[in-house]
Amino acid sequence: MSTPDNTPHLPRRKRSARLSLAMMGASAFGLSACGQPEQTTDVSFDSPRSYQSVDECVAANVYTQSACEDAYASSLEQVPRYTSIEQCEAEHGEGACVAPTEEQAQMATGGSGGSWFMPALMGYMVGNMMSRTSRGATSQGLYQEPVYRNRQNQGNWNAATNQASQRISQRQQTMRNQATQNRQATSQRSGFGSRSSARGGWGS
Amino acid sequence: MLRIDVSERPRWKTLAHELGFHFHTIDGEPYWKEDAYYQFTLEQVERDIEAPTEELHEMCLELVDRVCHSNALMQRLALPEFMWDTIHDSWKAGQPHLYGRMDFAYDGSGPAKLLELNYDTPTSLYEAGFFQWVWLEQAIEQGLIVRHADQYNSIQERLIAALAHIGQRLPEATLHFACIKDNLEERATVHYLQDMAVQAGLKAPFIHMEEIGCRADCDYFVDLDDRPIKALFKLYPWEVMADDAFGEAVPQHTTHWFEPPWKAILSNKGILPLLWEHFEGHPNLLPAFFEEKTPTPLAPGWVRKPFFSREGSNVELMTPAGEREAVDGPYIDSPWIRQAYHPMPRFGARHALIGSWVVGDRACGMGVREDVGRITKDSSCFVPHAIV
Repeated sequence: MSTPDNTPHLPRRKRSARLSLAMMGASAFGLSACGQPEQTTDVSFDSPRSYQSVDECVAANVYTQSACEDAYASSLEQVPRYTSIEQCEAEHGEGACVAPTEEQAQMATGGSGGSWFMPALMGYMVGNMMSRTSRGATSQGLYQEPVYRNRQNQGNWNAATNQASQRISQRQQTMRNQATQNRQATSQRSGFGSRSSARGGWGS
Repeated sequence: MLRIDVSERPRWKTLAHELGFHFHTIDGEPYWKEDAYYQFTLEQVERDIEAPTEELHEMCLELVDRVCHSNALMQRLALPEFMWDTIHDSWKAGQPHLYGRMDFAYDGSGPAKLLELNYDTPTSLYEAGFFQWVWLEQAIEQGLIVRHADQYNSIQERLIAALAHIGQRLPEATLHFACIKDNLEERATVHYLQDMAVQAGLKAPFIHMEEIGCRADCDYFVDLDDRPIKALFKLYPWEVMADDAFGEAVPQHTTHWFEPPWKAILSNKGILPLLWEHFEGHPNLLPAFFEEKTPTPLAPGWVRKPFFSREGSNVELMTPAGEREAVDGPYIDSPWIRQAYHPMPRFGARHALIGSWVVGDRACGMGVREDVGRITKDSSCFVPHAIV
């Protein structure tokens, strides 16, 4: 998986190496994987961000160029590869696949590339994972991964949100002007959740 | 797949309380059980659960796209007409979802069979994602289980990553969280998700569903201080929201929802006959059909489920030998489906059900529930699993 495993001599694992809780329970809880039973580890994921490209990552000025490149390469390695565009499109939909650029091929294989096809990468995430152990040791590792697959015909949700919020802020300006005249506008409540379920809940 | 007896960790109940797991016992009956665990091989997990989950997830999203482009299919799924545009627009805009759970009948050999999707308000998340993981780490540490034991579980890690990804696209990196009042288990599940959101760098305020406000002069639903709720995670189903007093106000509001409106398509059991229609014969699917308007009596080897139902309510089944089993419930207004009966594996007196988790678009872990009955209910126990 994506999190760097600090115990490279162990075989690949299907479970996370470390987990912690920030706010549930009596106090923040952190537990490290077996192998370090005598100490506790508290892990914090330091504001992971997602980027469309290495350039965007570097331009954001949060991570070094090499960190951005490493994370990008690791994300690329996790993207499934196909020998033909037909195979790839059969999995991911028509028009969803591309051949890697020379740069991508190089990053993903570390070599001079090759010919394969992959679903177009929508972006990738870079985060700084800090672990502090009870002995005072601090280690850092970058983690990265593709989060959502690229889907054909999907809008740019991010841009849609921005548009909506621009529209809203304009409207809110008008609203504010109106509000000075009408401070009495009231909120209705209890419009959700008034029905009871079979067992007093709605989870499944 | 085996059910192996194991010693409980001493003082695990104290630990559970310290970690916010107050519903390990429900109405005096155990909900979390660790006097046994389910053992899988890595191949069983990867070949029979993880890979089919990802494949089925993609098939489901393909169907979402079809339904979004067809009023006839929207109608067939009994989705309220005033929500059609909202559902369609949320899909076309690429609004991300957070998570879902598929329930499988699987006995360790042959293809796992999809019984249903819980893609709108899945619970048992904390148990599967966190407490189960802690159990394995401690069981190894305390010598209760072999050191090389593993678990199919990166649920929490994936949740943090997905929330971080979502959070960057939300105004002020703020995501509100909501569930209804007076339900300990659901409040805990939402609390856990808030915890994940905070670890992902988001602000994660809580509000009860009942407290959400609606103002004529605001494009968003509002919190108790009348501030706009720009994005809200709700552990509250779309079909119930649509019926609520504020339901018809949803399309007029800009509030972003998690799960997004298009999840209404997948949290509906009508998706099961649609899956069968489009992918008939797929090894992980069971034959499923929409019930006729004038239904015939349930034949042996078939199960009857309402479109909208939770935790096994109103499910009726007839085994091939003609044994009938049914759970009562309030979900009698919606249409019904018929699904071919597939036995769940039995270990002693218990039937085991696999819940396979999807976070973002990735399969990332599982949990096992067991029940003496053939229908898994809210009272069914959660039993941890290990890969050995």
